[in-house]
Amino acid sequence: MEIFLTYLKVFAVGGFVCMLGQILINKTKMSSARILVLYMLIGALLEVCGAFEPIKKFAGSGVTIPIMGFGSNLAKGAIEGAKQNGMLGAITGGLSSVAAGLTVVIVCGFVFGLISRSRSKKI
Amino acid sequence: MRTFKLKNPVYIKSGFTIVGPKEGDGNFGDCFDIVLHDDLWCEKSYEKCESKLHRDAITGAIKKAGLVREDMDILLGGDLLNELSSTSLAARNFPCAFLGLYNACSTFGEAMLVGSMLIDGGFAKNVTCSTSSHYSSAERQYRFPLELGNQRQPTAQWTVTGAGCTVLSNEMPARENIRVYEDDIIAIDDSMNIDEKTLDKYKKSIDKQKKVIDAEKSNIIEDNFSRLNNDYMKQNTHYAVVTGGTIGRVIDLGIDDEANMGSCMAPAAADTILTHLKESGLDPSDYDGIFTGDLGRFGKANLEYILSKEGITLPTYYMDTGASYFTPEQKTFQGGSGAGCVNTVFNSYILKRLQRGELKRIIVVPTGALLNKDTPLQKETIPGIAHAFTVESRQFE
Amino acid sequence: MIDRKEYQDYVSKNAPKSPMVRTLVAAFIVGGIICCIGEGIGDIIKLIFKDMSEKDVAIWESCIMIFLGSFFTALGLYDKLGHYAGGGSIIPITGFANSVISPAMEYNREGVFFGICAKMFVIAGPIIVFGVTVSFFIGFISYFVV
Repeated sequence: MEIFLTYLKVFAVGGFVCMLGQILINKTKMSSARILVLYMLIGALLEVCGAFEPIKKFAGSGVTIPIMGFGSNLAKGAIEGAKQNGMLGAITGGLSSVAAGLTVVIVCGFVFGLISRSRSKKI
Repeated sequence: MRTFKLKNPVYIKSGFTIVGPKEGDGNFGDCFDIVLHDDLWCEKSYEKCESKLHRDAITGAIKKAGLVREDMDILLGGDLLNELSSTSLAARNFPCAFLGLYNACSTFGEAMLVGSMLIDGGFAKNVTCSTSSHYSSAERQYRFPLELGNQRQPTAQWTVTGAGCTVLSNEMPARENIRVYEDDIIAIDDSMNIDEKTLDKYKKSIDKQKKVIDAEKSNIIEDNFSRLNNDYMKQNTHYAVVTGGTIGRVIDLGIDDEANMGSCMAPAAADTILTHLKESGLDPSDYDGIFTGDLGRFGKANLEYILSKEGITLPTYYMDTGASYFTPEQKTFQGGSGAGCVNTVFNSYILKRLQRGELKRIIVVPTGALLNKDTPLQKETIPGIAHAFTVESRQFE
Repeated sequence: MIDRKEYQDYVSKNAPKSPMVRTLVAAFIVGGIICCIGEGIGDIIKLIFKDMSEKDVAIWESCIMIFLGSFFTALGLYDKLGHYAGGGSIIPITGFANSVISPAMEYNREGVFFGICAKMFVIAGPIIVFGVTVSFFIGFISYFVV
């Protein structure tokens, strides 16, 4: 039962976040890159305000799987780096906290780009 | 004065069209000469495929007119890709003079105007007017990669995959359409004006294509000879003559939404139609066929709205080729667009009806939205252009 | 001819709009399901590697989600989902993966060097640039504040 409740929370919060994005798409005709940047900045802002951690406690993957998680990781890494290693930590902290994700995306991009080609569409 | 009348008759000798699979399922599906099953057509990229479509459309039209490559004086053509790449690459196969034209989706209108003027003035005997567009190459050039998972806007249109070619001549066409076989189109001709290396590549691609054709029993090309609208066996009762036209102005009413091209082009179409009616002193009802280019369903409504403000009502048989191209089930939202849209409809559906005598006097208004990938980013608005040409059908004596 | 202002008003008033209810429901359901898949992957990792820290689980989780997004893009399925779900498949990290893989697949016909490698970030580039710049300034400010 507890598991079911957890997943319900993830589903509701994740769905709600995506639905807000869809409202933006319908109303402003923003392209997908702009939406992603906006959400990432929101994630970073929430992290700086300290609001991200409680939401994450509540919804788990519901906020970390949307690109807001990426933004919050960047901000969190930079703040922690600044605390531990001073100025150099502030510079390296952000990227090193998302290094795993970036590496996977670049490697996947290269490999799948090599072996797969875009196909023509019918709808 | 932007409207002109031709003094000498300029005959339409033949029209030939090749379209992709989705277009073959559309409303005009049974009128096209060739419908491909695979829109790569044994090529390595969509750009190469578009160039091949273009080349084969010209070859097919020349064959259908009963002529050979050397009879052609001037090739007129254009497409939507950067620097007219697909047209120029197609034109290297022909030993003829070549003029590359660009007016976005209204290139076909421009080619017909220039071609008929050249013949009327006695500067050429036979001219081809061809355009092509390909959904996948246009999508990559103007919008996003194909595999990007974003939604199309409800005002968006679908670039038609297809190429068409009209042969204009100062000689009367024959009563019978000459039947064009697959082998005629993909054959290598001695007169092809290409170097050895390109020839090698070309031979390889033809071998591959023949293998596919043999293996799948012609499955790569849908045979149109058994289709309903096939007109190869019947004799034409009428022939079509280009009689004049109106050259369009660039009109910009400040629409800057690149996903809403129909609204950018509708004012230009309205301007061209108004100018044509005013300068020729005719009424819309004098024409029994009025066709605009690729305005789409919403663009068509816009055009009718603008014209109604000027006190002109278009008759019920007015048709927008883009809006009518696809069925609603094909989910293209506003319909077809692209340089191949009005061209493929004119060379199949409209030309066949002219040759059967069902249409007597028509006006075709191809429209184009003039933009490239960078102008909307630099906050420019999107101007539109539209050219008009008139065609009459006359009975064989 | 019609007045500029009048025509623009007419177009913006009458242009067809996306169906609000259908697209929102689709985005909600698909977005929710993708997040649940992420949570499920996290739970499975926790079950297999019991002594892994919470932070590492989150990193592995997003790496696997990125891989899944890339994989379904390469199969040509992700854009069909995106066509249906819109925001529901753009905003999760799989959508970020899709915006990197799709140009790489599109431009591989121009070769490995100037095609795949050079064009990989034509869409996702702003995300990296904004993210890194913002994180630098956040770190910079927090260094002086703390």
